[in-house]
Amino acid sequence: MIEQLATLAPGPFHWLSLTVLLFAIGIYGILTRRNAVGILMAVELALNSGAMNFVVFNKYVAPSAVDGQIMAIFVIAIAAAEVVVGMAIFVTLFGHRRTVDVTRMDQITDAAGTN
Amino acid sequence: MLMLPELIVIGTAFLLLTLDLIWSDRQRPALALVGLSGVGAAIAATLTLMPQSGELFGGRFAVDAVAWWFKLLFLIAGGLTIALSMDMLDGRIGAGGTQLGSRGEYYVVMLFNLAGMMYMASARDLVSLYVSLELATIPLFVLAAWKRDAQSTEAGLKYVILGALASALFLYGMGILYGLSGEMRLEAMGKAMQAGPAFWLGVAMLAAGVGFKLTLVPFHMWAAEVYQGAPAPVTAYLSVASKGAGLALMFHVFYRVLGPLAGHWDLALAIFASLTMTVGNFAAIVQKNIKRFMAFSAISQAGYLLLGFLGKPGDGVPAMLFYLLVYIVTNLAVFGVIIWYSNHTGRERIEDYRGLSRTNPLVALAMMIALFGLAGIPPLSGFVGKFFLFSIAAKAGFHWLVALAAVNSTVSLYYYLRVVRQMYIEPAEAGDSALRVTPAMTGALAVTVLASVILGVIPYFYETVSAQTAGWLQGTLW
Repeated sequence: MIEQLATLAPGPFHWLSLTVLLFAIGIYGILTRRNAVGILMAVELALNSGAMNFVVFNKYVAPSAVDGQIMAIFVIAIAAAEVVVGMAIFVTLFGHRRTVDVTRMDQITDAAGTN
Repeated sequence: MLMLPELIVIGTAFLLLTLDLIWSDRQRPALALVGLSGVGAAIAATLTLMPQSGELFGGRFAVDAVAWWFKLLFLIAGGLTIALSMDMLDGRIGAGGTQLGSRGEYYVVMLFNLAGMMYMASARDLVSLYVSLELATIPLFVLAAWKRDAQSTEAGLKYVILGALASALFLYGMGILYGLSGEMRLEAMGKAMQAGPAFWLGVAMLAAGVGFKLTLVPFHMWAAEVYQGAPAPVTAYLSVASKGAGLALMFHVFYRVLGPLAGHWDLALAIFASLTMTVGNFAAIVQKNIKRFMAFSAISQAGYLLLGFLGKPGDGVPAMLFYLLVYIVTNLAVFGVIIWYSNHTGRERIEDYRGLSRTNPLVALAMMIALFGLAGIPPLSGFVGKFFLFSIAAKAGFHWLVALAAVNSTVSLYYYLRVVRQMYIEPAEAGDSALRVTPAMTGALAVTVLASVILGVIPYFYETVSAQTAGWLQGTLW
Protein backbone atom coordinates (compact mmCIF):
# COMPACT_ATOMS: atom_id res chain seq x y z
CA MET A 1 0.00 0.00 0.00
CA ILE A 2 2.70 2.41 1.06
CA GLU A 3 4.88 1.44 -1.89
CA GLN A 4 1.98 1.91 -4.25
CA LEU A 5 1.21 5.39 -2.87
CA ALA A 6 4.86 6.38 -3.03
CA THR A 7 4.96 5.78 -6.77
CA LEU A 8 1.96 8.07 -7.35
CA ALA A 9 3.38 11.53 -8.02
CA PRO A 10 0.81 14.31 -7.70
CA GLY A 11 0.07 16.03 -11.01
CA PRO A 12 -1.16 19.54 -11.81
CA PHE A 13 -4.73 18.50 -11.21
CA HIS A 14 -3.98 17.55 -7.60
CA TRP A 15 -2.03 20.72 -6.92
CA LEU A 16 -4.68 22.95 -8.46
CA SER A 17 -7.38 21.19 -6.46
CA LEU A 18 -5.36 21.96 -3.37
CA THR A 19 -5.08 25.68 -4.21
CA VAL A 20 -8.77 25.93 -5.04
CA LEU A 21 -9.60 24.22 -1.77
CA LEU A 22 -7.31 26.55 0.17
CA PHE A 23 -8.81 29.58 -1.53
CA ALA A 24 -12.34 28.37 -0.82
CA ILE A 25 -11.50 27.78 2.85
CA GLY A 26 -10.04 31.29 2.98
CA ILE A 27 -13.14 32.89 1.47
CA TYR A 28 -15.37 30.83 3.77
CA GLY A 29 -13.35 32.00 6.75
CA ILE A 30 -13.58 35.65 5.69
CA LEU A 31 -17.34 35.35 5.39
CA THR A 32 -18.00 33.46 8.61
CA ARG A 33 -15.39 34.45 11.22
CA ARG A 34 -16.49 37.13 13.65
CA ASN A 35 -13.09 37.85 15.14
CA ALA A 36 -11.06 40.21 12.97
CA VAL A 37 -7.86 38.26 13.68
CA GLY A 38 -9.57 35.10 12.43
CA ILE A 39 -10.55 36.95 9.26
CA LEU A 40 -6.96 38.01 8.77
CA MET A 41 -5.85 34.37 9.08
CA ALA A 42 -8.43 33.40 6.47
CA VAL A 43 -7.13 36.14 4.18
CA GLU A 44 -3.64 34.68 4.61
CA LEU A 45 -4.96 31.31 3.40
CA ALA A 46 -6.49 32.91 0.33
CA LEU A 47 -3.32 34.88 -0.45
CA ASN A 48 -1.12 31.82 0.00
CA SER A 49 -3.33 29.77 -2.28
CA GLY A 50 -2.80 32.49 -4.88
CA ALA A 51 0.96 32.29 -4.36
CA MET A 52 0.87 28.50 -4.64
CA ASN A 53 -1.02 28.82 -7.91
CA PHE A 54 1.94 30.68 -9.34
CA VAL A 55 4.39 28.02 -8.23
CA VAL A 56 2.25 25.22 -9.66
CA PHE A 57 1.79 26.93 -13.00
CA ASN A 58 5.50 27.76 -13.07
CA LYS A 59 6.31 24.06 -12.78
CA TYR A 60 3.77 22.72 -15.25
CA VAL A 61 3.19 25.52 -17.76
CA ALA A 62 6.37 27.60 -17.99
CA PRO A 63 9.19 25.52 -16.49
CA SER A 64 11.89 27.35 -18.48
CA ALA A 65 11.85 30.36 -16.13
CA VAL A 66 11.35 30.86 -12.41
CA ASP A 67 8.98 33.87 -12.70
CA GLY A 68 6.17 32.18 -10.83
CA GLN A 69 8.38 31.20 -7.90
CA ILE A 70 9.74 34.75 -7.65
CA MET A 71 6.16 35.96 -7.62
CA ALA A 72 5.36 33.58 -4.74
CA ILE A 73 8.23 35.00 -2.67
CA PHE A 74 6.99 38.54 -3.24
CA VAL A 75 3.46 37.52 -2.32
CA ILE A 76 4.68 36.05 0.97
CA ALA A 77 6.50 39.29 1.82
CA ILE A 78 3.51 41.45 0.90
CA ALA A 79 1.10 39.24 2.84
CA ALA A 80 3.32 39.71 5.90
CA ALA A 81 3.18 43.51 5.45
CA GLU A 82 -0.58 43.36 5.10
CA VAL A 83 -0.92 41.36 8.31
CA VAL A 84 1.37 43.72 10.23
CA VAL A 85 -0.73 46.72 9.22
CA GLY A 86 -3.95 44.87 9.94
CA MET A 87 -2.82 43.74 13.40
CA ALA A 88 -1.62 47.25 14.29
CA ILE A 89 -5.04 48.64 13.42
CA PHE A 90 -6.81 45.87 15.35
CA VAL A 91 -4.69 46.51 18.45
CA THR A 92 -5.54 50.22 18.37
CA LEU A 93 -9.19 49.39 17.84
CA PHE A 94 -9.13 46.93 20.72
CA GLY A 95 -7.92 49.76 22.96
CA HIS A 96 -11.10 51.69 22.19
CA ARG A 97 -13.74 48.98 22.02
CA ARG A 98 -12.32 46.08 24.06
CA THR A 99 -13.37 43.83 21.16
CA VAL A 100 -12.44 43.11 17.56
CA ASP A 101 -15.73 41.38 16.76
CA VAL A 102 -16.53 42.55 13.24
CA THR A 103 -20.28 42.22 13.74
CA ARG A 104 -20.11 45.01 16.32
CA MET A 105 -18.28 47.50 14.12
CA ASP A 106 -21.27 49.77 13.68
CA GLN A 107 -20.21 53.14 15.03
CA ILE A 108 -19.81 54.72 11.61
CA THR A 109 -23.35 55.56 10.55
CA ASP A 110 -24.91 58.39 8.66
CA ALA A 111 -26.09 59.94 11.93
CA ALA A 112 -22.57 59.90 13.41
CA GLY A 113 -19.99 62.60 12.91
CA THR A 114 -22.03 65.35 14.48
CA ASN A 115 -19.52 66.00 17.26
CA MET B 1 16.87 58.73 -15.53
CA LEU B 2 13.37 57.57 -16.48
CA MET B 3 12.70 56.66 -12.87
CA LEU B 4 13.67 60.11 -11.60
CA PRO B 5 10.20 61.25 -10.41
CA GLU B 6 9.74 58.09 -8.31
CA LEU B 7 13.26 58.37 -6.91
CA ILE B 8 12.63 62.00 -5.95
CA VAL B 9 9.42 61.04 -4.14
CA ILE B 10 11.10 58.19 -2.27
CA GLY B 11 14.14 60.34 -1.48
CA THR B 12 11.86 63.04 -0.09
CA ALA B 13 10.12 60.45 2.06
CA PHE B 14 13.41 59.31 3.60
CA LEU B 15 14.54 62.92 4.02
CA LEU B 16 11.32 63.68 5.90
CA LEU B 17 11.82 60.64 8.11
CA THR B 18 15.29 61.90 9.06
CA LEU B 19 14.25 65.52 9.53
CA ASP B 20 11.31 64.48 11.69
CA LEU B 21 13.79 62.69 13.93
CA ILE B 22 16.30 65.52 14.34
CA TRP B 23 14.06 68.59 14.23
CA SER B 24 12.50 70.12 17.31
CA ASP B 25 8.76 70.47 17.57
CA ARG B 26 9.02 74.17 16.71
CA GLN B 27 10.70 73.37 13.38
CA ARG B 28 8.42 70.50 12.40
CA PRO B 29 5.74 72.58 10.60
CA ALA B 30 8.38 73.03 7.88
CA LEU B 31 8.13 69.26 7.15
CA ALA B 32 5.08 69.92 4.98
CA LEU B 33 7.07 72.45 2.95
CA VAL B 34 9.85 69.89 2.42
CA GLY B 35 7.26 67.36 1.29
CA LEU B 36 5.63 69.87 -1.03
CA SER B 37 8.93 70.87 -2.60
CA GLY B 38 9.77 67.19 -3.11
CA VAL B 39 6.49 66.64 -4.94
CA GLY B 40 7.09 69.88 -6.87
CA ALA B 41 10.52 68.65 -7.94
CA ALA B 42 9.01 65.34 -9.01
CA ILE B 43 6.37 67.20 -11.07
CA ALA B 44 9.12 69.26 -12.70
CA ALA B 45 11.10 66.09 -13.48
CA THR B 46 7.98 64.46 -14.95
CA LEU B 47 7.24 67.46 -17.15
CA THR B 48 10.85 67.55 -18.36
CA LEU B 49 11.02 63.84 -19.15
CA MET B 50 7.50 63.64 -20.49
CA PRO B 51 8.04 63.20 -24.24
CA GLN B 52 10.53 60.37 -23.69
CA SER B 53 9.70 56.72 -23.51
CA GLY B 54 11.78 53.70 -22.70
CA GLU B 55 12.20 50.79 -20.34
CA LEU B 56 14.39 49.67 -17.47
CA PHE B 57 15.09 46.35 -15.72
CA GLY B 58 14.56 44.20 -18.79
CA GLY B 59 11.19 45.78 -19.55
CA ARG B 60 9.71 45.36 -16.07
CA PHE B 61 9.55 49.15 -15.67
CA ALA B 62 8.60 51.15 -18.74
CA VAL B 63 7.27 54.61 -19.40
CA ASP B 64 5.12 55.88 -22.23
CA ALA B 65 2.80 58.86 -22.68
CA VAL B 66 -0.03 57.37 -20.63
CA ALA B 67 2.29 56.37 -17.77
CA TRP B 68 3.71 59.91 -17.64
CA TRP B 69 0.22 61.39 -17.51
CA PHE B 70 -0.81 59.07 -14.69
CA LYS B 71 2.33 59.99 -12.74
CA LEU B 72 1.65 63.68 -13.26
CA LEU B 73 -1.95 63.26 -12.06
CA PHE B 74 -0.90 61.28 -8.97
CA LEU B 75 1.74 63.89 -8.12
CA ILE B 76 -0.77 66.74 -8.48
CA ALA B 77 -3.23 64.89 -6.24
CA GLY B 78 -0.52 64.07 -3.69
CA GLY B 79 0.87 67.61 -3.58
CA LEU B 80 -2.56 69.16 -3.14
CA THR B 81 -3.41 66.66 -0.42
CA ILE B 82 -0.25 67.58 1.49
CA ALA B 83 -1.25 71.25 1.22
CA LEU B 84 -4.74 70.41 2.50
CA SER B 85 -3.40 68.28 5.40
CA MET B 86 -0.95 70.88 6.72
CA ASP B 87 -3.36 72.81 8.94
CA MET B 88 -4.74 69.69 10.57
CA LEU B 89 -1.30 68.25 11.32
CA ASP B 90 0.25 71.51 12.52
CA GLY B 91 -2.64 72.35 14.83
CA ARG B 92 -3.88 75.45 13.00
CA ILE B 93 -7.44 74.50 13.86
CA GLY B 94 -10.32 76.00 15.74
CA ALA B 95 -12.13 72.96 17.07
CA GLY B 96 -10.79 70.46 19.56
CA GLY B 97 -10.41 66.83 18.59
CA THR B 98 -9.71 67.32 14.90
CA GLN B 99 -5.93 67.45 15.10
CA LEU B 100 -3.90 64.58 13.66
CA GLY B 101 -0.69 63.42 15.28
CA SER B 102 2.69 62.19 13.97
CA ARG B 103 2.96 64.58 11.04
CA GLY B 104 6.40 63.37 9.92
CA GLU B 105 5.21 59.79 9.53
CA TYR B 106 1.99 60.96 7.91
CA TYR B 107 3.83 62.61 5.03
CA VAL B 108 6.24 59.69 4.76
CA VAL B 109 3.44 57.12 4.49
CA MET B 110 1.62 59.30 1.98
CA LEU B 111 4.74 59.76 -0.17
CA PHE B 112 5.48 56.03 -0.19
CA ASN B 113 1.92 55.43 -1.27
CA LEU B 114 2.38 58.02 -4.01
CA ALA B 115 5.54 56.26 -5.18
CA GLY B 116 3.62 52.97 -5.26
CA MET B 117 0.97 54.46 -7.53
CA MET B 118 3.63 55.92 -9.81
CA TYR B 119 5.42 52.57 -10.06
CA MET B 120 2.11 50.93 -10.84
CA ALA B 121 1.61 53.22 -13.86
CA SER B 122 4.95 51.90 -15.14
CA ALA B 123 4.62 48.23 -14.19
CA ARG B 124 4.93 45.88 -17.11
CA ASP B 125 4.93 42.42 -15.57
CA LEU B 126 2.89 40.66 -12.92
CA VAL B 127 5.50 40.89 -10.15
CA SER B 128 6.03 44.64 -10.44
CA LEU B 129 2.29 45.19 -10.96
CA TYR B 130 1.32 43.27 -7.83
CA VAL B 131 4.04 44.74 -5.63
CA SER B 132 3.31 48.31 -6.69
CA LEU B 133 -0.44 47.74 -6.38
CA GLU B 134 0.06 46.68 -2.77
CA LEU B 135 2.37 49.64 -2.13
CA ALA B 136 -0.44 51.80 -3.50
CA THR B 137 -2.94 50.13 -1.14
CA ILE B 138 -1.41 49.07 2.19
CA PRO B 139 -0.26 52.59 3.28
CA LEU B 140 -3.85 53.74 2.73
CA PHE B 141 -5.03 51.33 5.46
CA VAL B 142 -2.63 53.05 7.84
CA LEU B 143 -3.73 56.51 6.74
CA ALA B 144 -7.43 55.66 7.14
CA ALA B 145 -6.81 54.71 10.79
CA TRP B 146 -4.47 57.66 11.41
CA LYS B 147 -6.65 59.53 13.89
CA ARG B 148 -6.66 56.47 16.20
CA ASP B 149 -10.09 57.21 17.65
CA ALA B 150 -12.92 54.66 17.62
CA GLN B 151 -14.32 55.74 14.23
CA SER B 152 -11.03 56.11 12.39
CA THR B 153 -9.73 52.70 13.48
CA GLU B 154 -13.07 51.14 12.61
CA ALA B 155 -12.66 52.59 9.11
CA GLY B 156 -9.14 51.14 9.06
CA LEU B 157 -10.44 47.70 10.06
CA LYS B 158 -13.10 47.69 7.34
CA TYR B 159 -10.61 48.90 4.76
CA VAL B 160 -7.89 46.40 5.68
CA ILE B 161 -10.21 43.38 5.63
CA LEU B 162 -11.94 44.24 2.37
CA GLY B 163 -8.68 45.45 0.83
CA ALA B 164 -6.97 42.16 1.67
CA LEU B 165 -9.92 40.21 0.24
CA ALA B 166 -9.76 42.24 -2.99
CA SER B 167 -6.02 41.69 -3.11
CA ALA B 168 -6.45 37.92 -2.70
CA LEU B 169 -9.04 37.82 -5.49
CA PHE B 170 -6.80 39.88 -7.77
CA LEU B 171 -3.82 37.63 -7.04
CA TYR B 172 -5.78 34.46 -7.75
CA GLY B 173 -7.10 35.93 -10.99
CA MET B 174 -3.59 36.85 -12.07
CA GLY B 175 -2.45 33.33 -11.20
CA ILE B 176 -5.11 31.83 -13.47
CA LEU B 177 -4.14 34.08 -16.38
CA TYR B 178 -0.48 33.23 -15.78
CA GLY B 179 -1.35 29.56 -15.93
CA LEU B 180 -3.28 29.99 -19.16
CA SER B 181 -0.60 32.03 -20.90
CA GLY B 182 2.65 30.97 -19.21
CA GLU B 183 3.73 34.60 -19.45
CA MET B 184 4.52 37.18 -16.79
CA ARG B 185 4.77 40.16 -19.13
CA LEU B 186 1.46 41.97 -19.37
CA GLU B 187 1.57 42.56 -23.10
CA ALA B 188 2.54 38.97 -23.95
CA MET B 189 -0.19 37.46 -21.74
CA GLY B 190 -3.19 38.53 -23.80
CA LYS B 191 -1.63 37.33 -27.05
CA ALA B 192 -1.04 33.84 -25.66
CA MET B 193 -4.61 33.27 -24.44
CA GLN B 194 -7.96 32.25 -25.85
CA ALA B 195 -11.29 32.89 -24.19
CA GLY B 196 -12.59 29.91 -22.23
CA PRO B 197 -14.18 29.10 -18.86
CA ALA B 198 -10.95 29.41 -16.83
CA PHE B 199 -10.14 32.62 -18.66
CA TRP B 200 -13.52 34.10 -17.72
CA LEU B 201 -13.01 33.10 -14.10
CA GLY B 202 -9.64 34.86 -14.08
CA VAL B 203 -11.04 37.99 -15.71
CA ALA B 204 -13.94 38.09 -13.23
CA MET B 205 -11.50 37.91 -10.31
CA LEU B 206 -9.33 40.64 -11.80
CA ALA B 207 -12.44 42.75 -12.32
CA ALA B 208 -13.27 42.35 -8.61
CA GLY B 209 -9.79 43.58 -7.65
CA VAL B 210 -9.97 46.52 -10.03
CA GLY B 211 -13.54 47.30 -9.03
CA PHE B 212 -12.55 47.51 -5.38
CA LYS B 213 -9.89 50.12 -6.13
CA LEU B 214 -12.15 52.05 -8.47
CA THR B 215 -15.31 51.61 -6.27
CA LEU B 216 -17.42 50.08 -9.02
CA VAL B 217 -20.81 49.09 -7.79
CA PRO B 218 -20.88 45.54 -6.60
CA PHE B 219 -17.52 46.23 -4.91
CA HIS B 220 -18.22 49.69 -3.49
CA MET B 221 -19.51 48.86 -0.01
CA TRP B 222 -16.31 49.84 1.79
CA ALA B 223 -16.21 53.35 0.36
CA ALA B 224 -18.98 55.01 2.37
CA GLU B 225 -17.77 53.79 5.75
CA VAL B 226 -14.06 54.27 5.12
CA TYR B 227 -14.55 57.73 3.62
CA GLN B 228 -16.65 58.77 6.58
CA GLY B 229 -14.46 57.32 9.30
CA ALA B 230 -11.07 58.34 7.91
CA PRO B 231 -9.62 61.79 8.66
CA ALA B 232 -10.87 64.34 6.10
CA PRO B 233 -7.55 64.86 4.21
CA VAL B 234 -7.14 61.09 3.90
CA THR B 235 -10.67 60.85 2.51
CA ALA B 236 -9.74 63.51 -0.04
CA TYR B 237 -6.63 61.54 -0.99
CA LEU B 238 -8.58 58.26 -1.20
CA SER B 239 -11.24 59.78 -3.41
CA VAL B 240 -8.80 61.12 -6.01
CA ALA B 241 -5.41 59.39 -5.91
CA SER B 242 -6.64 55.90 -5.03
CA LYS B 243 -9.30 56.16 -7.71
CA GLY B 244 -6.66 57.30 -10.19
CA ALA B 245 -4.57 54.26 -9.25
CA GLY B 246 -7.65 52.11 -9.86
CA LEU B 247 -7.94 53.60 -13.33
CA ALA B 248 -4.24 52.97 -14.03
CA LEU B 249 -4.74 49.34 -12.91
CA MET B 250 -7.77 49.04 -15.15
CA PHE B 251 -5.75 50.38 -18.09
CA HIS B 252 -3.17 47.64 -17.43
CA VAL B 253 -5.73 44.88 -17.14
CA PHE B 254 -8.20 45.84 -19.85
CA TYR B 255 -5.92 47.44 -22.44
CA ARG B 256 -2.53 45.85 -21.94
CA VAL B 257 -3.40 42.32 -20.83
CA LEU B 258 -6.83 41.84 -22.35
CA GLY B 259 -6.46 44.27 -25.26
CA PRO B 260 -6.17 41.58 -27.93
CA LEU B 261 -9.41 40.04 -26.66
CA ALA B 262 -11.25 43.36 -26.32
CA GLY B 263 -14.84 43.58 -27.47
CA HIS B 264 -15.92 40.59 -25.39
CA TRP B 265 -16.97 42.71 -22.44
CA ASP B 266 -18.34 45.97 -23.77
CA LEU B 267 -21.79 45.03 -22.54
CA ALA B 268 -20.46 43.95 -19.14
CA LEU B 269 -18.59 47.25 -18.77
CA ALA B 270 -21.72 49.16 -19.80
CA ILE B 271 -23.72 47.34 -17.11
CA PHE B 272 -21.03 48.05 -14.49
CA ALA B 273 -21.02 51.74 -15.51
CA SER B 274 -24.80 52.07 -15.39
CA LEU B 275 -25.05 50.31 -12.00
CA THR B 276 -22.18 52.36 -10.57
CA MET B 277 -23.54 55.75 -11.51
CA THR B 278 -27.15 54.96 -10.65
CA VAL B 279 -26.50 53.40 -7.25
CA GLY B 280 -23.95 56.09 -6.36
CA ASN B 281 -26.29 58.90 -7.30
CA PHE B 282 -29.43 57.61 -5.65
CA ALA B 283 -27.59 56.71 -2.45
CA ALA B 284 -26.02 60.17 -2.34
CA ILE B 285 -29.42 61.85 -2.27
CA VAL B 286 -30.28 60.66 1.22
CA GLN B 287 -26.91 61.11 2.96
CA LYS B 288 -26.56 63.56 5.84
CA ASN B 289 -22.84 63.36 6.59
CA ILE B 290 -20.90 65.30 3.96
CA LYS B 291 -17.98 62.85 3.77
CA ARG B 292 -20.37 59.95 3.25
CA PHE B 293 -22.21 62.06 0.69
CA MET B 294 -18.94 62.69 -1.15
CA ALA B 295 -18.21 58.95 -1.06
CA PHE B 296 -21.35 58.19 -3.05
CA SER B 297 -20.68 61.15 -5.31
CA ALA B 298 -17.21 59.70 -5.98
CA ILE B 299 -18.77 56.29 -6.74
CA SER B 300 -21.06 57.84 -9.35
CA GLN B 301 -18.12 59.73 -10.87
CA ALA B 302 -16.30 56.39 -11.28
CA GLY B 303 -19.33 55.22 -13.26
CA TYR B 304 -18.98 58.13 -15.70
CA LEU B 305 -15.26 57.43 -15.98
CA LEU B 306 -16.00 53.86 -17.06
CA LEU B 307 -17.84 55.09 -20.18
CA GLY B 308 -14.45 55.84 -21.73
CA PHE B 309 -13.64 52.12 -21.99
CA LEU B 310 -16.52 51.50 -24.40
CA GLY B 311 -15.12 53.18 -27.48
CA LYS B 312 -11.85 52.95 -29.37
CA PRO B 313 -8.79 53.43 -27.13
CA GLY B 314 -7.64 56.36 -29.28
CA ASP B 315 -10.72 58.31 -28.13
CA GLY B 316 -11.23 56.77 -24.72
CA VAL B 317 -7.76 57.04 -23.24
CA PRO B 318 -7.37 60.85 -23.58
CA ALA B 319 -10.97 61.42 -22.49
CA MET B 320 -10.52 59.33 -19.33
CA LEU B 321 -7.18 60.92 -18.46
CA PHE B 322 -8.63 64.39 -18.96
CA TYR B 323 -11.69 63.58 -16.86
CA LEU B 324 -9.44 62.20 -14.13
CA LEU B 325 -7.49 65.48 -14.10
CA VAL B 326 -10.72 67.50 -13.93
CA TYR B 327 -12.11 65.23 -11.24
CA ILE B 328 -8.92 65.47 -9.15
CA VAL B 329 -8.88 69.28 -9.01
CA THR B 330 -12.65 69.66 -8.63
CA ASN B 331 -13.05 67.02 -5.96
CA LEU B 332 -10.05 68.35 -4.03
CA ALA B 333 -11.61 71.83 -4.09
CA VAL B 334 -14.75 70.42 -2.45
CA PHE B 335 -12.68 68.47 0.05
CA GLY B 336 -10.59 71.58 0.75
CA VAL B 337 -13.71 73.31 2.00
CA ILE B 338 -14.83 70.21 3.92
CA ILE B 339 -11.42 69.91 5.62
CA TRP B 340 -11.30 73.62 6.40
CA TYR B 341 -14.81 73.64 7.84
CA SER B 342 -14.33 70.58 10.01
CA ASN B 343 -10.94 71.93 11.16
CA HIS B 344 -12.58 75.04 12.52
CA THR B 345 -15.96 73.78 13.68
CA GLY B 346 -15.65 70.00 13.98
CA ARG B 347 -18.94 69.71 12.06
CA GLU B 348 -19.46 67.33 9.17
CA ARG B 349 -23.17 67.25 8.39
CA ILE B 350 -24.54 68.88 5.24
CA GLU B 351 -26.97 70.99 7.24
CA ASP B 352 -24.06 72.36 9.27
CA TYR B 353 -23.04 74.33 6.18
CA ARG B 354 -26.08 76.59 6.46
CA GLY B 355 -25.37 80.25 6.03
CA LEU B 356 -21.75 79.76 4.97
CA SER B 357 -22.23 82.38 2.23
CA ARG B 358 -23.03 84.98 4.93
CA THR B 359 -20.01 84.23 7.09
CA ASN B 360 -17.37 83.25 4.50
CA PRO B 361 -18.68 84.29 1.06
CA LEU B 362 -15.51 83.46 -0.88
CA VAL B 363 -15.20 79.94 0.53
CA ALA B 364 -18.89 79.34 -0.19
CA LEU B 365 -18.33 80.55 -3.76
CA ALA B 366 -15.37 78.15 -4.16
CA MET B 367 -17.50 75.26 -2.86
CA MET B 368 -20.36 76.19 -5.19
CA ILE B 369 -18.11 76.34 -8.27
CA ALA B 370 -16.54 72.99 -7.37
CA LEU B 371 -19.91 71.32 -6.75
CA PHE B 372 -21.27 72.65 -10.05
CA GLY B 373 -18.10 71.35 -11.68
CA LEU B 374 -18.79 67.86 -10.29
CA ALA B 375 -22.39 68.09 -11.51
CA GLY B 376 -21.19 69.15 -14.98
CA ILE B 377 -22.64 72.64 -15.47
CA PRO B 378 -21.50 73.96 -18.90
CA PRO B 379 -18.70 76.46 -18.68
CA LEU B 380 -16.88 74.42 -16.03
CA SER B 381 -14.43 71.66 -16.77
CA GLY B 382 -16.70 68.93 -15.38
CA PHE B 383 -19.06 69.50 -18.29
CA VAL B 384 -16.31 69.26 -20.90
CA GLY B 385 -14.93 66.07 -19.35
CA LYS B 386 -18.35 64.44 -19.20
CA PHE B 387 -19.13 65.54 -22.74
CA PHE B 388 -16.12 63.67 -24.13
CA LEU B 389 -16.94 60.53 -22.13
CA PHE B 390 -20.62 60.55 -23.11
CA SER B 391 -19.80 61.10 -26.77
CA ILE B 392 -17.49 58.05 -26.72
CA ALA B 393 -20.30 55.87 -25.37
CA ALA B 394 -22.66 57.31 -27.98
CA LYS B 395 -20.20 56.62 -30.79
CA ALA B 396 -19.85 53.03 -29.59
CA GLY B 397 -23.62 52.62 -29.94
CA PHE B 398 -24.59 52.60 -26.26
CA HIS B 399 -27.39 55.17 -26.60
CA TRP B 400 -29.36 53.79 -23.65
CA LEU B 401 -26.29 54.23 -21.47
CA VAL B 402 -25.80 57.85 -22.58
CA ALA B 403 -29.46 58.57 -21.82
CA LEU B 404 -29.06 56.98 -18.39
CA ALA B 405 -25.87 58.97 -17.76
CA ALA B 406 -27.66 62.21 -18.71
CA VAL B 407 -30.50 61.39 -16.30
CA ASN B 408 -27.92 60.61 -13.63
CA SER B 409 -26.19 63.95 -14.19
CA THR B 410 -29.50 65.70 -13.61
CA VAL B 411 -30.10 63.71 -10.44
CA SER B 412 -26.60 64.58 -9.26
CA LEU B 413 -27.32 68.28 -9.80
CA TYR B 414 -30.19 67.90 -7.33
CA TYR B 415 -28.04 66.60 -4.50
CA TYR B 416 -25.11 68.93 -5.15
CA LEU B 417 -27.62 71.78 -4.99
CA ARG B 418 -28.69 70.53 -1.55
CA VAL B 419 -25.32 71.69 -0.23
CA VAL B 420 -25.48 74.96 -2.19
CA ARG B 421 -28.96 75.57 -0.80
CA GLN B 422 -27.70 75.18 2.76
CA MET B 423 -24.88 77.62 2.09
CA TYR B 424 -26.83 80.28 0.19
CA ILE B 425 -30.50 80.14 1.17
CA GLU B 426 -30.63 78.92 4.75
CA PRO B 427 -29.80 81.58 7.37
CA ALA B 428 -26.62 81.22 9.39
CA GLU B 429 -26.90 79.84 12.89
CA ALA B 430 -26.99 82.51 15.57
CA GLY B 431 -23.50 83.19 16.83
CA ASP B 432 -21.69 81.92 13.74
CA SER B 433 -19.02 84.37 12.70
CA ALA B 434 -16.50 84.40 9.86
CA LEU B 435 -13.92 81.62 10.19
CA ARG B 436 -10.24 82.18 9.54
CA VAL B 437 -8.83 80.84 6.27
CA THR B 438 -5.19 79.85 6.64
CA PRO B 439 -2.65 80.66 3.88
CA ALA B 440 -2.14 76.97 3.00
CA MET B 441 -5.88 76.51 2.58
CA THR B 442 -6.24 79.72 0.56
CA GLY B 443 -3.50 78.58 -1.81
CA ALA B 444 -4.88 75.06 -2.25
CA LEU B 445 -8.45 76.27 -2.77
CA ALA B 446 -7.39 78.99 -5.23
CA VAL B 447 -5.33 76.54 -7.29
CA THR B 448 -8.01 73.84 -7.41
CA VAL B 449 -10.96 76.13 -8.13
CA LEU B 450 -9.10 78.11 -10.80
CA ALA B 451 -7.91 74.87 -12.40
CA SER B 452 -11.43 73.45 -12.43
CA VAL B 453 -12.63 76.55 -14.31
CA ILE B 454 -9.64 76.98 -16.64
CA LEU B 455 -9.49 73.33 -17.73
CA GLY B 456 -12.98 73.69 -19.16
CA VAL B 457 -12.53 77.08 -20.80
CA ILE B 458 -9.11 76.75 -22.42
CA PRO B 459 -8.90 73.79 -24.82
CA TYR B 460 -5.09 73.64 -24.62
CA PHE B 461 -5.10 71.04 -21.84
CA TYR B 462 -7.36 68.52 -23.49
CA GLU B 463 -5.56 68.98 -26.78
CA THR B 464 -2.23 68.26 -25.10
CA VAL B 465 -3.52 65.10 -23.41
CA SER B 466 -5.15 63.98 -26.62
CA ALA B 467 -2.13 64.72 -28.83
CA GLN B 468 0.19 62.78 -26.55
CA THR B 469 -1.93 59.75 -25.74
CA ALA B 470 -4.29 59.20 -28.69
CA GLY B 471 -1.81 56.91 -30.42
CA TRP B 472 -1.08 54.90 -27.27
CA LEU B 473 -0.34 51.20 -27.93
CA GLN B 474 -1.49 51.64 -31.52
CA GLY B 475 -0.02 49.01 -33.78
CA THR B 476 1.20 46.84 -30.91
CA LEU B 477 -2.11 45.52 -29.67
CA TRP B 478 -4.84 46.42 -32.15
